Amino acid sequence: MFKRSTVFLLTLLLIASVFVPATFAQERVTITVLNYFDLTSPGAERELQEVWHEFSNRFPHITVLREDLFLEPFHQKTEAYAAANQLPDVIYMWPGGRSTTLHTKRLVKDLRPLLGEDAKYFSEAVLAPQTAGYLAELPNTMTSSHALYVNVGLLQELGLEIPETYEDLVAMVPVLKANGLDTILMGAQDDWVIQSCLFSTIVGRLVGDKKMDEIIAGEAKFTDSEFVGALEFYGRLFADGVLHRKIMNTTYGEVNGLFAAGRAPFMIDGDWKVGNFITDTSTGEALIPVDKQDEFKMIIFPAIPGEINPNSASTVVGTGYGMSANIPAGSAKEAAAWELIKWLQSVEVQKLRLETGGTIPSRIDVTSDQLEPLVNERLGYYALIETGTYVLDSVLAGEVYLPINIGLQEIGLGLATPMEVAERTQEAYDAWKANQ
Amino acid sequence: MKKAAFWTEERRAYLILVFPAVIIYWAVMAFPTIFSFILSLTNYNGGPVFGNPDVKIVGFTHYVRMFNDKYFWISLKNNGLIMAISLFGQIPLGFLFAYVLHRKLIKFGDFFQTIIYLPAVISTIVIGRLWQSFFSPYGPFTEFMRRFNPTWENELFFDPHLAILPVLFVILWMYTGTYLIIFLANLQKIDPALIEAARIDGATEWQVLTKIILPALSGVIVTTAILAISGSLKSFDLLFAMTGGNPARRTSVLALYMYDNAFRGAPKYPLANAISVFMVLLSLILIMVVRITESRFGGRE
Repeated sequence: MFKRSTVFLLTLLLIASVFVPATFAQERVTITVLNYFDLTSPGAERELQEVWHEFSNRFPHITVLREDLFLEPFHQKTEAYAAANQLPDVIYMWPGGRSTTLHTKRLVKDLRPLLGEDAKYFSEAVLAPQTAGYLAELPNTMTSSHALYVNVGLLQELGLEIPETYEDLVAMVPVLKANGLDTILMGAQDDWVIQSCLFSTIVGRLVGDKKMDEIIAGEAKFTDSEFVGALEFYGRLFADGVLHRKIMNTTYGEVNGLFAAGRAPFMIDGDWKVGNFITDTSTGEALIPVDKQDEFKMIIFPAIPGEINPNSASTVVGTGYGMSANIPAGSAKEAAAWELIKWLQSVEVQKLRLETGGTIPSRIDVTSDQLEPLVNERLGYYALIETGTYVLDSVLAGEVYLPINIGLQEIGLGLATPMEVAERTQEAYDAWKANQ
Repeated sequence: MKKAAFWTEERRAYLILVFPAVIIYWAVMAFPTIFSFILSLTNYNGGPVFGNPDVKIVGFTHYVRMFNDKYFWISLKNNGLIMAISLFGQIPLGFLFAYVLHRKLIKFGDFFQTIIYLPAVISTIVIGRLWQSFFSPYGPFTEFMRRFNPTWENELFFDPHLAILPVLFVILWMYTGTYLIIFLANLQKIDPALIEAARIDGATEWQVLTKIILPALSGVIVTTAILAISGSLKSFDLLFAMTGGNPARRTSVLALYMYDNAFRGAPKYPLANAISVFMVLLSLILIMVVRITESRFGGRE
């Protein structure tokens, strides 16, 4: 009797050991991710450990197959995936610009229904509908594509002050030249840089979003005096020596070291560039050491003659992660992908991004007491912007902004006039409009 | 009976041996080329290709658009320059170095052989970045020139006519070693007794070169010319890393122009396919020209 009951009990235990964990365990899910990742950035090591490894620790039932790419290779792969309709489950995206295909072809899901009640943790501005009229990616920040970085220490050495007007800036050019320095550095070999980081702000100042809305709607033209005037002012920057043609032979990465080394007192770039200057926690080194960071400021471009929007700069909702529309609604894969997207915009991750790159959180419940002076400078920079205006490549179709990107380089090199570029852009717009 | 005669054992063996190669050739060469041509005639712009009701045949619209685009002609011109530096720079230099090394006209031949071939084993992306830094307005080349003229500005990339020059220089530097190895290997195949006999008969070095070596290598020269032409037309990686086709697309080539249309901004796949079809046709025409030239004027091995 004892023997029989023991055998029965052991059999029961054996069956239970097999089936009970399987019953209560979560279903194992594998998701693919196309991630935009700069492995050379100071915060890269922390991001790997504290974002991706931590997610695997917290959600052991989700296996993440991650593909990390940066700059052009990332965009090329995105377009290839989109063309083949084989988008990864989770993909890094822009709210427009280079991710336009994902938006307009609705290759990613609307995240607003998935966000549900959690929307209360995000600033309402970042949840606004994006290029195709829905929340295609959950943004990690609001960002300004324009900032004028100033090496105040260098200016003081030369007896100069931060310029308040464009004329002040022009007046500095001969002094800087006499000292063997450039005026403004830009890493503008890639043609998007001038359009995104400088010209969009000039358009915001001289043309304004209202007029741009009319141009986008086809009620006004790129050849109208306002837009041509913005191109002409941009051309003046070269004629006045404020910009030099060599910015178009300076790579986006090369400019960081040049500015940190004091090759010019000014640099124009997006506010995100702060992340390249602060301390890399894996090495303890920084392009601009913490004790020197107080000598650097971020301001907006000085007052431009004839501007209609003073103290404005181009701003846009930041990047984030979207979810492939191919994932079946209500599936375990959708739940896993959403778990990852939520984690990537969680308090922990946004705090990390604030500390390592000065990314202004899109959540309203994130703070940190471990910020370097330059990160604080970036936070303060936003107070200077009275009006946020369009970043052109986030509101114009690719066919329309590409002629602007190339045209800006051509104006700088003296290969095209502002009116020629405006006419080419209008032609591109008309062709694009005809296909809609 | 006839059927049995057709399927001889020898014929079957040929077919079995050729079948895998034919399948692979069709899968990775012929089919993509034909499919690319078909896509170039449509308005396909992403999404499913087959069964997509929005995909329509639009004829040669994209070819007309391509020929009307000034950036196409800039790219084509740059491809022509790269081809010229390959055909009239890399091949003659590669041959010259190979000849000098083979005939032992200088000492330390192995050392020079290694030095000349070294760039060919380094990643093209690394080379592109390296030379981009070298020619940068803030790079070593500018610093070096300023030792002679302190006010010198590096304008190399800004003049639309000069912007391609640094790229051409790097292409020459990078690929000459490959042709050196090809020529050296083929020079070693020429019977030394032939050259020795000619020298005993009083032939000069020039006569040995023009009467024995060059005729013997004419087939190799054609092969290297084909390699140079196809290599020139598919130039992409070095330019992508070094200039990205800029400033203002003045250093673009057809492959970069195709890439821009396929992957930058809104994708224009039919136009990109039209460009790739044009590249294939151009390549075929140029290779035919080389073959005809060789058959008319070339020597016999």
